Amino acid sequence: MFTLRSRIAVLALICLFAPAAGAQNAGAGLEVGRKMLLEDNPGELWIDRGKRIFHEKRGPKKASLEQCDFGMGPGNLKGATARLPRYFADTDKVEDLDSRIVTCMVTLQGSDREQVKKSAIGRPLTDGSDIEAIAMYVASHSNGMKMDVRLDHPKEREMYKAGEYLFFRRSGQTDFGCVTCHGQPDKRIRLQDLVNMLDKKQIQAVAGSWPAYRGAHGISRTMQWRLYDCFWQMRLPELAYLSDVSIALSTYLNYQGNGAVVKVPGFKR
Amino acid sequence: MKMKKTAIEWTIGAAAVLAAVGCATFPDAQETRGTAESMVKASFTAPTPNLLKRLDQDRAQQICSKIGKAELTPAEAAEVVKLSRASIEYPKSGKFAGNWKAGAKLAYDGGGDRIQGGRLEKRAHNGGLCQNCHGLEAGEVNVGNVGPALTGYGARGNSEAIAKYTYERIYNAWTYFPCSNMPRLGATGHLTPEQITHLVAYLIDPQSSLNRK
Amino acid sequence: MAEPMRIRATLQGDVADVRILMRHPMETGQRKNPKGEIIPVHFIQSVVVTHNGKTVFDAQWSQAISRDPFLGLRIKGAKAGDKVSVTWTDNKGDKRTDEATVAASS
Repeated sequence: MFTLRSRIAVLALICLFAPAAGAQNAGAGLEVGRKMLLEDNPGELWIDRGKRIFHEKRGPKKASLEQCDFGMGPGNLKGATARLPRYFADTDKVEDLDSRIVTCMVTLQGSDREQVKKSAIGRPLTDGSDIEAIAMYVASHSNGMKMDVRLDHPKEREMYKAGEYLFFRRSGQTDFGCVTCHGQPDKRIRLQDLVNMLDKKQIQAVAGSWPAYRGAHGISRTMQWRLYDCFWQMRLPELAYLSDVSIALSTYLNYQGNGAVVKVPGFKR
Repeated sequence: MKMKKTAIEWTIGAAAVLAAVGCATFPDAQETRGTAESMVKASFTAPTPNLLKRLDQDRAQQICSKIGKAELTPAEAAEVVKLSRASIEYPKSGKFAGNWKAGAKLAYDGGGDRIQGGRLEKRAHNGGLCQNCHGLEAGEVNVGNVGPALTGYGARGNSEAIAKYTYERIYNAWTYFPCSNMPRLGATGHLTPEQITHLVAYLIDPQSSLNRK
Repeated sequence: MAEPMRIRATLQGDVADVRILMRHPMETGQRKNPKGEIIPVHFIQSVVVTHNGKTVFDAQWSQAISRDPFLGLRIKGAKAGDKVSVTWTDNKGDKRTDEATVAASS
């Protein structure tokens, strides 16, 4: 069966020479494979899907999302996600991309907030959720621009500091905190390279890569899903969609990634 | 008639703007901890209230959650070591090394005890998670490196002393390396003492596939 | 099913560099659903690419091609404004055709 994992494993095997040194050499081969997977990845099809959904008149109010304000004014998508998360006066909250899409689905389209949140994270090997597609579309308008999260508002600062605290917070039966896997250079879990979030260059390499096409799931994924998945494998309870912890961590990480060039769709294994 | 703003009015105006922008400060450590811990209480769900307790930190975890480049003080390190040593529960059988084949299965098993879609992934036994971070058998490609490679661990021998030390290292790694990245697998209850004896055997038994050249 | 493809055709000299992304589950027929039942085989069997109406690429695919496949090809003797058309047909008889115009080199 041709799964993504087996393709990467085969690629790694092909690129090895000395079996003894296999583990160390795997990195170089994997990098070639990763570049190939990133170019022209299927995530682009979610930009198209998201565009269709974004412009459709939906919900009880039969309205599109065209007037949604992502921070650059209603309807202005260019460069918007490069500045997220940020404070929004209309909700008096710091919001990330997912959160803002939900806000607009509720206020512009009249959708039920809890219903929208329930179906926000799509099931693998389906079309994925509407939000995941819309997020990819909206984020594509920041392609080529630099991440520029600002901490001007007190709530943005509060989120940033809380996110930093949470990044280093260890708990559960694994004693894991984000820092356990993402706080040192040159580490990987099995064959999955771990981004060192405490290294400016490393975090910049990934900060602009969300939303991304997750190969194993065959759909677009946002940072909300990524954070949820981390807590899942740490054997911790389920991170609630759009929760304060998720916004705080995103604020901290995206700010640390400032300067990163946005390039979506990213590609993850 | 055009009104010219006085110097005072400009200053008050500017101060108001500065206050609104919050140019003053970021919240301090104590305030941040309070805010973040409240966030933790409100940001997670679990099938039962008991499972939410997984988010509570024990004393050692609190010490080990140093932010940024903050370092462990000697006193803190000593406290973590003391708590860790006190936590160790030895196997009822009195034998530190169990069955290496059972240990091999465990070492490659990364599943068990995760929570998803309102359900707990409950199995008879949790996986050892070892392979995620440690190189195990010689010649493998699919190896993590968050922890040191354990290939050929048995070269250091399989005496009682080594068996005991190895058992303690897995049961609670912080006994020897406070705040290490390694989960305190026995102390946190992720693995049972019996399971740990099998991992010990996997590491030190001369017949173990881990020690095969 | 049959979601639109994404086709990019850019001129490099007199060669059109064509990049095509297709949405398709490409089910191998070997995977099982959570109930343990085999998920039926469902994959693109044929892909035809034409350049100004003339067939330049005709392939028969199998289950070995992965989900949401990418196809890249180069067409010699192309000019800006030329039409590139891609049609895929799968084992269930589903079909999809999309078109793109060759863009001048950027």
